[in-house]
Amino acid sequence: MAAMSLLLRTAAAWGARRAASGAAGAARLPWLAGAARLPGTVAPLRHSSDHGKRMFIIKATSFYDTRFLNLLRFYIFLTGIPAALFITYVNIFIGEAELAEIPEGYVPEYWEYYKHPISRWIARYLLDPPEKDYEKDLALLDVEARKTEMRLMELEARRLMRHRGDGPWYHYETPDKNLVDNSMKSTPDN
Amino acid sequence: MPEDRDWEAYKVPPTRTPAVERTTSLPNPVTFFQTVFGYVVEAPVTFVREWIERQQAKNKFYYYHQKFRRVPDLSECLEGDYLCFYEAEAQWRRDRMVDQEIVEIIRERLGACKQREGPNQFQNCAKEMEQLAQVTKAYQDRYGDLGVHGNARTCLMKQKHRMMEERKAQENASQ
Repeated sequence: MAAMSLLLRTAAAWGARRAASGAAGAARLPWLAGAARLPGTVAPLRHSSDHGKRMFIIKATSFYDTRFLNLLRFYIFLTGIPAALFITYVNIFIGEAELAEIPEGYVPEYWEYYKHPISRWIARYLLDPPEKDYEKDLALLDVEARKTEMRLMELEARRLMRHRGDGPWYHYETPDKNLVDNSMKSTPDN
Repeated sequence: MPEDRDWEAYKVPPTRTPAVERTTSLPNPVTFFQTVFGYVVEAPVTFVREWIERQQAKNKFYYYHQKFRRVPDLSECLEGDYLCFYEAEAQWRRDRMVDQEIVEIIRERLGACKQREGPNQFQNCAKEMEQLAQVTKAYQDRYGDLGVHGNARTCLMKQKHRMMEERKAQENASQ
């Protein structure tokens, strides 16, 4: 307590008086009850230095938020800026294709149906020609159609063999007829 | 980049503003603003655009609209011929896209006519309106109400139903 300065002692006494009256005065004047005080206004201000009173502002941390936003911007720009520069270069110096009528007797390559140079490049070097894609789809359909046909034929064969009994399927092992003992059926009075 | 408007498609007829007869000796302030705009905005933009086009003109290349061969229709496919079905379906989808673009073009023509005529649109755009009505009715008859799962088969069935109703209407009319 001896170390407390005069300033802080007056502040403490004043605060205590305020708190005491605040409990009694809260019933009459609710807005005067002990509200949160800004840290600069607990003690009266002395205009001593040019910076004003130095404050330790207590607020929620923004460390994680700023770290997240910095990292987000970093990782987006890491590939975003080279991509943007490349695309700008292509758009300015190479430019898009012009529409033209197909010349007589000329069959355009499959990538020459696209306008943007990057689309053309992707179609030419990364993707399969659309004719090949078409043929792949048709091949898949053909295989599945043959499978369907085979399955239906198998079902029909099975049905007929079961019904007629004259095919290689639906043979069941039965005991040899020579092993059967018919002695108990040989006379009618057993 | 978005499609540029084709300025030649809907050419506005030449304006018939009469020649200016000046009655004051004060200069027109509009010309001042026009020259300022020309120097500040238009000249640099035109310069940059022409520079870009000079760079692009060094190696020109072209793109074409693909022409697809006609394949047998869905009505000409044998039953169970799934390859024929697939090709007919692809062709039907392309034809539907073409029809959608046709309707869009007719709609744009009507819009251009309205913009051109301004207050006279109800009299002068009657032809375009009639054309749009006919084209949309035809599109509705063929592709409408098929739903999102509409394919060549459902469209063929719809056509069959239309023909049946037409025949019934004809019979009723002839009775």
